Amino acid sequence: MTPRLAIESLCKRFAAPVLRDVSMAVAPGSIHGLVGENGAGKSTLINIVSGLLPADSGSLRLNGASYRPGSRRQALDHGIALAAQEMSLIDTLTVAENILLANLPQHKLAIDRERLIERSLLLMNRVDLRVSPQAAVAELTLAERQLVELAKALSMPESACKLLILDEPTSALTSPQADRLHSLLTERAAQGLSIIYVSHRLDDVLSVCDEVSVLRDGQIVLTAPTSGLGAEDLIHAMCGEELLADDAIAASPRGPIRLRVEALSSAEFPEPISLQCHSGEIVGIAGLAGAGRSELLHAIFGLGERRSGKVLLSGEAEVSIDSPSTAVRHGMAMIAEDRKAQGLFGGKSLAMNTTIAGLGRLGGALAAVLPRRELDVSERLLQKLKVKSEGPRQDIDRLSGGNQQKVLFARWLQTEADVWLLDEPTRGVDIGAKLAIHQQLRRLRDQGAAILIVSSELEELTALCDRILVLSARRVAACYERGQWSKELLLDAAFSQFKNSQSHAGAST
Amino acid sequence: MRQHSTAAGIVARFSLVFEELFIFIALLCLVAFFALSADNFLTTGTLSAILSQLPALTVVTIGMTLVLVSGGIDLSVGSVVALSSAVVGLLYTVFGLPLPLAALLGILAGGCAGLVNGLLGSYLRLPIFIVTLGMLEAGRGLAYLVTGSQTMYIGPDIQSMALPIPGLGVSPAFLLALALVIVAQLTLTRTVFGRYVIAIGSNETAAKISGIRTEPYLCAVLVISGLLAGLGGLMNAAYLGASDPNAALGLELSAIAAAVIGGTSLMGGRGSIVGAFLGVLIIAVLQNGLAQLGVSEPVKRLITGLVIILAVLLDRWRSRP
Repeated sequence: MTPRLAIESLCKRFAAPVLRDVSMAVAPGSIHGLVGENGAGKSTLINIVSGLLPADSGSLRLNGASYRPGSRRQALDHGIALAAQEMSLIDTLTVAENILLANLPQHKLAIDRERLIERSLLLMNRVDLRVSPQAAVAELTLAERQLVELAKALSMPESACKLLILDEPTSALTSPQADRLHSLLTERAAQGLSIIYVSHRLDDVLSVCDEVSVLRDGQIVLTAPTSGLGAEDLIHAMCGEELLADDAIAASPRGPIRLRVEALSSAEFPEPISLQCHSGEIVGIAGLAGAGRSELLHAIFGLGERRSGKVLLSGEAEVSIDSPSTAVRHGMAMIAEDRKAQGLFGGKSLAMNTTIAGLGRLGGALAAVLPRRELDVSERLLQKLKVKSEGPRQDIDRLSGGNQQKVLFARWLQTEADVWLLDEPTRGVDIGAKLAIHQQLRRLRDQGAAILIVSSELEELTALCDRILVLSARRVAACYERGQWSKELLLDAAFSQFKNSQSHAGAST
Repeated sequence: MRQHSTAAGIVARFSLVFEELFIFIALLCLVAFFALSADNFLTTGTLSAILSQLPALTVVTIGMTLVLVSGGIDLSVGSVVALSSAVVGLLYTVFGLPLPLAALLGILAGGCAGLVNGLLGSYLRLPIFIVTLGMLEAGRGLAYLVTGSQTMYIGPDIQSMALPIPGLGVSPAFLLALALVIVAQLTLTRTVFGRYVIAIGSNETAAKISGIRTEPYLCAVLVISGLLAGLGGLMNAAYLGASDPNAALGLELSAIAAAVIGGTSLMGGRGSIVGAFLGVLIIAVLQNGLAQLGVSEPVKRLITGLVIILAVLLDRWRSRP
């Protein structure tokens, strides 16, 4: 049988080779998984197939015919739909307009509003997105945006769509949302659609895909049916020999209370909440998307409108946190959910990105920043965290996601922070970087840091945390100590506030 | 690997110098072109004409560059120049204040305009483009009110600031502007203040989360821009020997153009004071050189506009990944 898409000896280099002699075939009606560490070449491969980048050499065949897209538009015309990881949404347009942007229904010269809403609602239902089609995308949460991106990719008429490419489609989704997407994909594949599914969530890949290919350093090192494969096989193929062992959990004695949150509320988190975190303790915050997890971290860090209640750091003297600058001055660190928008200084050097939060201690606005010293400090931290880079002068935009995240860790190691607030710290990073980040968090805990971590991956929380707090609809639904929890209990608590008002689940106001 | 990293380091270091070197070479080419095509371009007469016009635009451009790097814009500088020079004229000629005191108060008037811009733009979070557009109108109106819409003659005392120092060939105003270029460049690249301004311009949310209180810095750059526009007003009055309420019309656009030619990004987060100064020189050389070639005013403006667009094109090409 002719494959739907055949990739033959594809090569691409930027400064260094990124894809080396890559060959792969996707059968009609099959879901083909693509996994690999960040920087392995997955995005480049996808970009070539979807018309965003030209290949250097090699060829593509679509249904047996030569296929060489010169632009995204040409690829669309060939029936290649794409849900990109770096979402391609336009903030100021509505949900409906974004979903149907490539193919807006028209009546004479004007946009046909009625059909626009009608058709987008249909697609929104399919991915279970429950917001108004008239809402501006800027107002949506990350999870909702991801669903918009998916609905957009699914907007191509079924008769025209030959290949659907999904790049990390579930990175911002909760498990039920992801499950819903997966059953939709299986259904579409049964009708004959071919799908390339890229993800770091190996269990998802194994359960959803028929076949999987593993990229390592720009080469396909494994292509096999998923039946008979385990996550360890994929990890082994992805990492080669470099694989780090995940530390065994060492029950460390927890110290005195370091962070106390008393009746804290803000415009985004209206119900007052109280919690504590000891020094030497990792507290997980679980919950569905829209449960208020990020908003809670923001309020603790001194961000957010109309904040009331207290955040107290107890050390030698007790201090009350009322703004991010007080928080940072007294040893708090924040790694926010959206790395690019809230963390990185794009186009700037690794050195600048590493040292920025520590400059406040140099003694006033007119204190000198010495380039030599700055480079030394930064270089030492980059080495300590094993950041793969060309040195502290390199532009941060050129690092992979996992390495960028390590630079953010370096920023807060430099301030010697000992109260850490982390929001999805391993989202979209490769397995190697993820294990390194986990190791780093355990090391910080053992050195006496108090750590609050938000994650959508329950496995991540159960592996790391001493205690897990479950939020549901912006309230604390449950709190479990290590040993008390199970996946069922945690999920049950996360859904507890939604049971009476099913129709509003996932919608945020 | 080791070799690789040092090579990349050298390239990175070179590109830092390269940024300004590139503009400097462009300036030299321009000077060489006019020297060859106009008979008396490289004469002390022309050069001193260029140098005497420079100080006001230079100091205003320094302020503009800082504001642009912080991610803002200051459209009011031309009007603030006129306002400050009007205040100096009024205080000196009508109220009989000693010149140094009148000069100081003129500069402070500029600082006040900047403070209003800064407070509205940073603490009240009004869009800075609109706030300074309002100040552009209001400042000009005030300048007319202060002078009674008349040019006020000030006299030779103030002109000594703009006249060449014997034996040196350049004026005190020029030396002051040059010193400020150096101080501002060091402030931008080598102090915590400068680093924060760059960080805020590059990503304000990330700056906040890094513990930077953004409001005081955003306010401070506008106050500095106002003070420098005030100084520009003093220099303009010194150059003319009078306060002209119509002075510096459209100066904000020349300052933005000079900053952009010098490699400053209108999106914030990137810019160089030395580059902007070279931008000022390029504009001045272009104006004078074209005048000497007998090019008419409309054609001069056409060419200047094309040069600005060319500079942005080159900048895009240079910073391409």
